[in-house]
Amino acid sequence: MMDIKKPELLKRLYNCIILLLIGMSLTAQTTSVSSAEVKAAFLYNFATFSEWPAEAFANPNSPFTIGVLGENPFGTALNEIVLNETKGGRPLTIKYFSQIEDVKDCQILFINLQKPSAQIQALEALKKQNVLTVGDTPDFVSKGGMIRFFVENNKLRFQVNLSAIKESNITLSSKLLRLAEIFNNPKL
Amino acid sequence: MKGTSIQQKLMRVILITCAITLLLTSSAYFGYQYFNLKQTYLKQVANTGKIIAFNSTAALAFDNANDAEEILSSLKVDEHIVGAALYNQDGKLFAKYPENISVTDLPVKPQGDGYGVQNSNFEGFQPVMEGNKQLGTLYIRTDRKAIHELFAFYTLASIVILIFSLVVAYFISRILQQSISKPILALAEVSKSISVDKDYSVRAIRYTNDETGALTDAFNQMLSQIEHQNRDIISFNQQLEEKISERTEELERANKELEAFSYSVSHDLRSPLRALNAYSQMFEEDYAELLDAKAMKLLGNIQRNAKRMGRLIDDLLEFSKLGRKELVKTNIGMNQLVTEVMKEVSDGKQNTSVITVEDLPDCLADRGLIYQVWVNLISNAIKYSSKKENPVIHIGSKINDNQVVYFIKDNGAGFNMDYAKMLFKVFQRLHSPKEFEGTGIGLAIIARIIAKHGGNVWAEGEVDKGATFFFTISNSR
Repeated sequence: MMDIKKPELLKRLYNCIILLLIGMSLTAQTTSVSSAEVKAAFLYNFATFSEWPAEAFANPNSPFTIGVLGENPFGTALNEIVLNETKGGRPLTIKYFSQIEDVKDCQILFINLQKPSAQIQALEALKKQNVLTVGDTPDFVSKGGMIRFFVENNKLRFQVNLSAIKESNITLSSKLLRLAEIFNNPKL
Repeated sequence: MKGTSIQQKLMRVILITCAITLLLTSSAYFGYQYFNLKQTYLKQVANTGKIIAFNSTAALAFDNANDAEEILSSLKVDEHIVGAALYNQDGKLFAKYPENISVTDLPVKPQGDGYGVQNSNFEGFQPVMEGNKQLGTLYIRTDRKAIHELFAFYTLASIVILIFSLVVAYFISRILQQSISKPILALAEVSKSISVDKDYSVRAIRYTNDETGALTDAFNQMLSQIEHQNRDIISFNQQLEEKISERTEELERANKELEAFSYSVSHDLRSPLRALNAYSQMFEEDYAELLDAKAMKLLGNIQRNAKRMGRLIDDLLEFSKLGRKELVKTNIGMNQLVTEVMKEVSDGKQNTSVITVEDLPDCLADRGLIYQVWVNLISNAIKYSSKKENPVIHIGSKINDNQVVYFIKDNGAGFNMDYAKMLFKVFQRLHSPKEFEGTGIGLAIIARIIAKHGGNVWAEGEVDKGATFFFTISNSR
């Protein structure tokens, strides 16, 4: 039995190569989708590591809503992450909005508007609204947004506008702030 | 512990008890710590793990390995934590501590939660939770140096405490033991001073109401009894002495009277006896031819008895004179003295005895009296051996109990040892005058002279086999 026949050996080698190729392709796929997925996960984690006042919700039974304003870059990733998750006893839901006027009953809002003017308009409208605004345009925090995604050394990181957060009643966990790059408002 | 004082014994007892108690206590403490410390330390490690896990949630959630390592690096405050790692949700190594630890030194993937002992280290896994969601796993490992250090510390502390406690115990016991030892020592001191000074009026001071107090009381009572008895004895002794001197005076007076009486009696008896003698002699000379043989024999009897009585009176006078005579002690050449005596005794008499004389040691005594002793002894020996065919007399000396004993031995008539003590009494005779002449005073005179010198005289003998007379002079050299 110790003696393995050549055809069998070849067969095994072949299997190995196929497995290896499948593995490589899988890795490549995850890398390509990671950006959106990671952002989705970060959005969910922001919910986890922050606290909202009771008045941020329409009623005590309202769900905790993560909204996406503009084009949805996450595909189904966000919906998958929040599936069956809760925040402070509230079920997590995802809402997609196409324009700022539609935004309602939402605790975290990912703003992905193409027109800069629309983005400024949206941020202006959400001021002091107890909505954690998240975006990834370079001027997002300088224009009054709260959290901006950026990539550093191939890693997704985020910038926090503390003064904007302060104006709302949202509290970010110190653990979250540890990881954040703090944006210094040049106006202050 | 036999030779040491009661104080030292007490101190030792206290200190040994103290040391044993402390040792037992610290042993018990060690034993308790041995079982307890592991649990405590595991708990401590678990708590550290919980804190680190709590702090690492965001780092894991936001996939920030730098931050995770920074959080882990806070473990450096505990030097005994030698390794730690964070694994992400998928069980992959996410961050490690210390930075330079090799990946092979850490578990490949997280295992069951909880802490335990592994390869002489404490290690364990701690889930990193946010709400109900597990974000990853923390692994933490510590060496056991902490426990070893703690044990070393306990040991050192125990030794320090032991030494300190013993020093404290020493000083405390030094003070406290006095409550026991002081009364006893005081008692001992008093008894010592009494045995040295013989002063029974001293009393021990009573310090306590316990057994030593009772002992002190008993001791004092005993002392007063002794003192009382001593006083009685002394007064009794004085009374006795007074009585003795009184009696001695009476006796001396009586003795003198008796001596004077016997002297005067002997003296007064002599003159009628002399007259009797003279008249019977005149009677014999003047009327010898008128008397027949029977009358002549009766007259001879009268004369012989009168002469005997004269000798008796002479001897008695001699004997009574001895009582009054003062001893004049000189150094006597004993051999010379004996030769003189032998010459006098054998002078004018038929003597068939063979007398041998040894070399005799000199002595310090009254020459005249000792002369008299030898005269009596030698003439006795000749007399009582005269009826033997070959009379032999031997004069010698021996040393007995460091004392010179002079003796004279004959092979004559001897005597019955049952009467040996009567020999030296006045008028006591073991033989009748018909057998051997004599007054029965000779040996009494010897006894008196020897007694006056402080010596002893005694005799040994056997009937028909001879007698030996011994005497000592107390100050003979």
